[in-house]
Amino acid sequence: MKFFVQGIGAVTPLGPTTKETWKALCAGERAAVRSMPNRLSDRSYSYFPVPLKFVSEAARQPRVRRSGVISLLGAVAGFDALADAGLKAGSSAAKRIAVIFAICSGGVNYTRRFYHDIVVGGANTASPLLFPETVYNAPASHVAALLGVNEQSYTLVGDSSVGLSAIHFATQILSMQPAFDRCLVVGTEEAEWLVADAFGSWRMAAKRDEFEVFGQATGTIFGEAAGAVVIGHEGDLQITHTLPGQSFFSIRDSQAVTRDLLVKVAAGNQPDFIISSANGTFADDVERLAFNDLFEANSVYAPKTAIGETLGASAVIGVVLASLVLRHQELPGTLSAGKKLPTINRTTRSCVASSALVSAVGFNQQVNALTLRR
Amino acid sequence: MTGLGIVSPLGPDSDSNRIALQTGKDAVCPVTTFDVSKTRCKTAAPVPDDWLDAVLPVGRTSHRLHRGSKMVTLALREACCSADSPNPELMVIGTTTGGMSFGETYYRHLLVSKSRRQIAQLAANYMPQKPILDGQQLNGLRMPSQIVANACSSGSNAIGHGFDLVRSGLHHCVIAGGYDPLCELVFVGFDSLQISTAERIRPFDKSRTGLVLGEGAAFLILESEESAAKRGVTAFAEVAGYGVSIDTYHLTQPHPSGIGARLAMERALESAWMEPGEIDYINGHGTATIFNDATEGVAISELFGRVPVSSTKSMMGHALGAAGAIEAAFCILALRQQFLPPNINFVESDAIWKFEVVANSAKVAPVRNVLSNSFGFGGTNASIILKSV
Repeated sequence: MKFFVQGIGAVTPLGPTTKETWKALCAGERAAVRSMPNRLSDRSYSYFPVPLKFVSEAARQPRVRRSGVISLLGAVAGFDALADAGLKAGSSAAKRIAVIFAICSGGVNYTRRFYHDIVVGGANTASPLLFPETVYNAPASHVAALLGVNEQSYTLVGDSSVGLSAIHFATQILSMQPAFDRCLVVGTEEAEWLVADAFGSWRMAAKRDEFEVFGQATGTIFGEAAGAVVIGHEGDLQITHTLPGQSFFSIRDSQAVTRDLLVKVAAGNQPDFIISSANGTFADDVERLAFNDLFEANSVYAPKTAIGETLGASAVIGVVLASLVLRHQELPGTLSAGKKLPTINRTTRSCVASSALVSAVGFNQQVNALTLRR
Repeated sequence: MTGLGIVSPLGPDSDSNRIALQTGKDAVCPVTTFDVSKTRCKTAAPVPDDWLDAVLPVGRTSHRLHRGSKMVTLALREACCSADSPNPELMVIGTTTGGMSFGETYYRHLLVSKSRRQIAQLAANYMPQKPILDGQQLNGLRMPSQIVANACSSGSNAIGHGFDLVRSGLHHCVIAGGYDPLCELVFVGFDSLQISTAERIRPFDKSRTGLVLGEGAAFLILESEESAAKRGVTAFAEVAGYGVSIDTYHLTQPHPSGIGARLAMERALESAWMEPGEIDYINGHGTATIFNDATEGVAISELFGRVPVSSTKSMMGHALGAAGAIEAAFCILALRQQFLPPNINFVESDAIWKFEVVANSAKVAPVRNVLSNSFGFGGTNASIILKSV
């Protein structure tokens, strides 16, 4: 059975749709960095925010008026992808869609506020309005309601590789259930200082306003975003190989596991370019060693220095960007690229590309990859 | 289904859970692990620590391992042993809270201390996939995992999806199940919504007042007939059908008509090629909340009429993302030992329901096919059908 990307959508710090995001990435723009204060100390963290105006229209829907930013971002990207696929919410075609969400931190802003009330004010002060939005599948439920979908919705959780697992899950659903013509896969992530603090405690958050990929691993900067893809049985961008991912138990272990996984997903083929998950952490070296070994002549584009490490959204955004490169035959230049990977693409250029590999080395022991062909 | 492992408040393995079900054990007790002085509900059903400590060799301890990791490790170990060393290709696991209590500790630490020592390991072990990876590593396994977080239907969704993968031939052997440990945030969350009770949990009772929370883990080894035959192992039971629906009426309340529950059960019957009359027992979602039991009760009554029903949550509380997996495991024990698990604390049924509650004591009965329901926040509904072999 064959699977195709039929529509792509994104809302990122660079734009409210894929179109604006793509234009900015090709122009070599970096999203604006803001400072996010730790509410409990004098620390602060850099991050790439999505401007509120990008989600303001979605926020007018009664269903999501109390929901967190994570749901709004998911809705914006989801509708962008549906429009790109030529589908309308509530249409008969939309009713034959399963909704699959990829989530990493979840509604962590509401979760932190809810727990803060418990600790500081006592359990009797905790808000019943916040609690339901802390549940991992709240964004999927909201988006399904807005789309008029009432058949199936799944939320998958994991690290920054979860988006590719969700796409694999979607291909499983389409393989097994003829009731569905398409799956809408959405990866979404909201910014929250607590997540940045956790990464800081792990020494994986950058201390400056920018970071380098495939250079000095000085830590990453977080971004909020959502990416979405509509997957169906026909189209012109074929998903040639997906996997459920693989686990690694240590950083040393991650290199062998990633190499094995990339061998499996590439199946002996050399992709015309690679969308990398490099983010200024240990993941860069893991990918670099595998790419040097397996794809020594293939151009690599690493988008995270422009929009940030968007965790649950990042792998789906990787697929969105791979689809855009294949559509437009243009490969953006990687900003702040270090010297360790000779094949990194440093400036935007036109290309002749018919195949892509999207790699996702997660920060919490998961790795995955996917290939696309035009 | 060639292997089964369970850790629940009723017991640390399948045998002890079976005995507890047959004797109607009540595992609900006062909460002591966090402050409940300002909550209405003050009880839950925890898995005793000494059962979980058995996960590591005598004399070894690990503060890094979350309770969830210990539950997963124990249940996974039993499942793989009972399946006689299967060759699983994938884990499909349901959860809702993951290592949330480590997140709570992390936040409390930030509130009271400027020291950064020790908290990195809390952050690293908080993610919901971590207990699965710990369980794999401690049992000498490595395989991909798909972690489903569909609120309280997660465990059933995981088993149902695993079943579909094997039935369709996409995989030969899959480990499916769920885990969820108790934590303060979720406990207070249910209390804030006023759906947990200060009294005993009384599912399907006319005077029910709400749920209490539980915890645990359960895993099933789902294997194709060909794979089991090749390994020379026999099946415990068969997963026969899976039905799912979403009801987007409200984030925390089901549609009053019970349409979401009804659709999930109808689709499970269709998937199993069965008629409602072929179901001998239903393990209800039965949270003992006003809304769930009302809508589930209507849906069961309309679809099945007079069928024996119980909610084993009456004995061990609601284990959220693990509930569907644990309750599927209970159904398998019922199929193997030919009994109906009881719905304890039961006094009086609602007159509008036609089904027969298995009141207070287990019953010996012929059981061929059973249906297990799980419904969750976000309107996710899942039903699975299991049959004896």
